[in-house]
Amino acid sequence: MQALQGVSFDVKKGEFLVIIGLSGSGKSTLLRCINRLHDPTSGEIIFGGKNVAKISGSDIRTLRKKVGMIFQQFNLIPRHSVLSNVLMGRLGSMKVFPSLLGLFTEQDKKNAMKYLQLVGIDDKARIRADQLSGGQQQRVAIARALTQDPQILLADEPVASLDPATCHTVMDYLKKVNQELGITIVCNLHFLSLVRQYATRVIALQAGKIVYDGSPHEIDDAWFERIYGVGAREVHIN
Amino acid sequence: MGVKLFSFVQFSSAAFRRTIFDGLSFGFLLAIALLVILKPGDEQMLDMKTNGFVFSGLFLVSVLISLILNKNGIRTLGEHIFEPDHKKGQQIETSWYYTLWGWQLVILLLVTFGVGLDKTRFSLNELLDEDGFDGAVRLFNGIFHPNFTLLPKAILNIVETIFMAFMATFLAIPLAFVLSFFCAKNIMKGPFLFSIYLFLRTLLNVTRSVEALIWAIIFSVWVGIGPFAGMLALMIHSVASLAKQYSEMVEAVSEGPIEGIQATGATQMQTIWYAIVPQVILPYVSFTMYRWDINVRMATIIGLVGGGGIGTMLIQYQGASYVARSWLYYLSDCSCRLDFGSILSSITFCPQVESLACDFDFLSFLSGFKIFFCC
Repeated sequence: MQALQGVSFDVKKGEFLVIIGLSGSGKSTLLRCINRLHDPTSGEIIFGGKNVAKISGSDIRTLRKKVGMIFQQFNLIPRHSVLSNVLMGRLGSMKVFPSLLGLFTEQDKKNAMKYLQLVGIDDKARIRADQLSGGQQQRVAIARALTQDPQILLADEPVASLDPATCHTVMDYLKKVNQELGITIVCNLHFLSLVRQYATRVIALQAGKIVYDGSPHEIDDAWFERIYGVGAREVHIN
Repeated sequence: MGVKLFSFVQFSSAAFRRTIFDGLSFGFLLAIALLVILKPGDEQMLDMKTNGFVFSGLFLVSVLISLILNKNGIRTLGEHIFEPDHKKGQQIETSWYYTLWGWQLVILLLVTFGVGLDKTRFSLNELLDEDGFDGAVRLFNGIFHPNFTLLPKAILNIVETIFMAFMATFLAIPLAFVLSFFCAKNIMKGPFLFSIYLFLRTLLNVTRSVEALIWAIIFSVWVGIGPFAGMLALMIHSVASLAKQYSEMVEAVSEGPIEGIQATGATQMQTIWYAIVPQVILPYVSFTMYRWDINVRMATIIGLVGGGGIGTMLIQYQGASYVARSWLYYLSDCSCRLDFGSILSSITFCPQVESLACDFDFLSFLSGFKIFFCC
């Protein structure tokens, strides 16, 4: 079984690209192929002029340094402080021994605080990550990805386990990252109302194939039925 | 017949396990029945060859019984336990009272209990025997009226024992810590790493299955009788046990943080340190404390075979009494000669060891002990 077939698209610098589709349509697989958490069986993924579909070892790490990622379950280290979690974004750029001893530079710490400020959570820097709420944890995860100094940020259903109000906060910060820092964002989403509000471009997947590629405002009811199947009803988040 | 029999087994692993289980359980019942009916003498019981044939025959008969019963839709205990998932829940609910497998379980438990009573020579007579009871009371009296002249020496020995346990645990921690990651399936992915995983797991299993007592005997020959040998024995055993427990914790960590750290471009080392270690550190500490607890207890026992500490002192003073002497004679009688060369070579998988002429005579070792302690 193939999770993705004949999927081909370009992402322009500074875009806020949202990928939609039913569960199991291949959204996560697509995203994870980009930073090689999954290995594609065939095809090309061109990042910065280089095909990254078949690289291995330290090349993958170099790629991942430039590609930040946030997850549905935030994937923070619960027992570490917020600041320490954010500093982990620097691991890829550090030598192994200093990193194991936790010898982060002053510059790294300053940067980490800067990004925590950007996502509005710098007052929680010394608190353990597992004591934060879901939305706060996701913001820490965004800050961690930003400390990597990424060119592109992958977001795998970043708001799927958050309540509607927090959804918007997190999405607003992603938009801020996109517009203020100029970081390209590729994001999986479930809710069309969020898509219309935040995306600059939408790709819809169905059973591993692209069925829609274009502006978020042109997805009408007919398109909605084609993507999500006949009888599906749209859920609105306000 | 054979072909027909095997065609309905279909060689699924569930059917295989069911058949083996039933074969063993029915075979056990038949064997016990045979023993009760025939009442064989000691000589017959020791005749491994004939008995082996008889039991294999009974096993095969039982396998046949199981196959026939299951073919006719009668559920055996094996079928009940090893039933494949897709078949579950299709039977009509009945009380175990009306089922074969229920009675098979009850009879199996009762017969096993009965054999247990016989084999442990369970006897209320002995337990309530007046002479024996007086002896026990005398011993207990001794515990509550200690000989205080021995106290200073005992305290020194106890300190030695506690430090044996401490050093064994302390030295085992870093070794087991490093080994635990090499013994975790979720880290050792890929054919090369997985073969290392398999090798280390097997090595640890073999090491762990050799009792610390045996390690103490080996080390007391290697480095001489005393606390150092005891400490080494405890350490080897602790490394093997802790590494297994630790690595199971590593295998149970949640994948999320690992992916989170990997996605930042971290190396395998950094991922382990930042994503896995924080998740396993608390169970590690509790396992280690428990192991220290076990080691303190084991350090005493290990002293009995030359590991130093309070155990050695205990056997020294027991050596004068009748009980200890009979225990030692018993050991020297039944263990005869242990070929330590071959044991070592099988443990280390190194045939050269055998030719190192470390043929060790357990009998002379024990008589050496007796001379050493009893005079």
